[in-house]
Amino acid sequence: MIEGTILLVDDNPDDVVLTLRAFRTNNITNHVDVASDGEEALDYLLPDGPHPPRPVLVLLDINLPKINGLEVLRRIRTDDRTRYLPVVVLSTSSEDRDIVESYDLGANSYIRKPVMFNEFVDAVRVLGLYWLLVNQSVTAREGG
Amino acid sequence: MHVHASHDQLQELIDNVSAMIYMKTIDEGRYILVNREWERLIKTSRHQVVNLTDHEVFPRELADKLRENDLGVARAGHTVQFEETAEFDNEIRSYLSVKFPVLDSAGKAYAVCGISTDITDRIRAEEQVRELNAGLEARVAERTAELEASTRELDAFAYSVSHDLRAPLRSLHGFSQAILDDYGPLLDDAGRGYLDRLQVNVKRMGGMIDDLLNLSRATRVDLKRESVDLSGLAREIMTDLSAAEPERTVTSVIADDLTATGDRALLRMVLQNLLSNSWKFTAKLPAATIEVGQIDHRGDQCFFVRDDGAGFDTRYADKLFTAFQRLHPAAEFEGNGIGLAIVQRIVRRHGGQVSAQSVLGHGATFSFTVTGHTEATT
Repeated sequence: MIEGTILLVDDNPDDVVLTLRAFRTNNITNHVDVASDGEEALDYLLPDGPHPPRPVLVLLDINLPKINGLEVLRRIRTDDRTRYLPVVVLSTSSEDRDIVESYDLGANSYIRKPVMFNEFVDAVRVLGLYWLLVNQSVTAREGG
Repeated sequence: MHVHASHDQLQELIDNVSAMIYMKTIDEGRYILVNREWERLIKTSRHQVVNLTDHEVFPRELADKLRENDLGVARAGHTVQFEETAEFDNEIRSYLSVKFPVLDSAGKAYAVCGISTDITDRIRAEEQVRELNAGLEARVAERTAELEASTRELDAFAYSVSHDLRAPLRSLHGFSQAILDDYGPLLDDAGRGYLDRLQVNVKRMGGMIDDLLNLSRATRVDLKRESVDLSGLAREIMTDLSAAEPERTVTSVIADDLTATGDRALLRMVLQNLLSNSWKFTAKLPAATIEVGQIDHRGDQCFFVRDDGAGFDTRYADKLFTAFQRLHPAAEFEGNGIGLAIVQRIVRRHGGQVSAQSVLGHGATFSFTVTGHTEATT
């Protein structure tokens, strides 16, 4: 698996705990940083300073306080520093509108959070396998 | 018997007509005669007006217009109708003026005669009717818009509530699983059993929420109109159902070339619900048959999904299509009772009807029509 940090953007502390748990269950040992709203996520990814952290994967919720996930995604894609960063949208919504808009804005993948925890664990397993092992990403190669 | 009326008799006749009657020469537009109504309205006697022109009687703009019309009649050589307006006593009145050329003995037009009937009241009445109609239409449109808005609002509300309910459910399921995983050995069978029950109910509630979301989606999404291959959709759905429960023996008989005009995603939802129902209510048969076909129903396309399963008591058939109504105990057949409500909403949006026939214990047939026209919202 690719070493490196995963950025989890989610405002629901329960979901954060359960997502971290699902990582552990699947032996995904990457360090995880958590941003609990859109503004925090943007401050983390696109700060004014010279050496911003470079996560290998962003898991992004859509309904976020302050700046919503779609806007975060738009800014990630318009900034040269994060243009190729793999972003997986993790949302409660299965609305066509949200899915289409996410892909329009350049999401790499869209996953609807299942209610059942075992299904969520399965989703996280597949997601980790694909984005941290199978997939060749631009950021990962640059980061070494 | 006198065949020719005298001049006095003719003057008497035109003086007793309620319209304005007048005659003017063509060359200079000078008045030759007027009737009493003309005198009354213009407040000028016939003796004063003879030899005057319109420009000496009316404001310039109106006089120009009248002269233009008179010359038009002379050129045309036959009767012409005009709508003319004039201001009397500070009130603008409308006239329907019938004007025709008057010929001399040589057959040459020398004058124009006009009969102007006051149609102000008629035009006002027509305008009022038009205004009332427009007002009525506007009110109907307004009410319809309000109704549609409140339906949409209600659906949006249902959507956001169901959407928001999923997050706490995720917590309930996740943390009960965490207890089972991390502390399972500390619990006895009863304790673990309680957590299992909790999870089963969370799962049920999750299913209900998803069904509610689909129900509100069935009314909220914009209807697309395209040709939809129902046979293909039905085969896909049956394949999925068989794949989920490969141990079951179900023969599906799907007619070829079933095509409907409508929204593909929504019509798929209709078939998905009806076929899942049939699949569910034939579960107790060692071998079941599920049929999809088409019959002609008074010129409309009528499709049906038929099974030989448990059926339902037709006394309660009207309850079938209401959300959360179940005719079977939950323990016997799983389900939330929303599927058929979704079917009905979608079929109605396609301008069709849905109906169900059954003999308890001997299968059920669900039919739906699809017509060319659409219902706005239901």
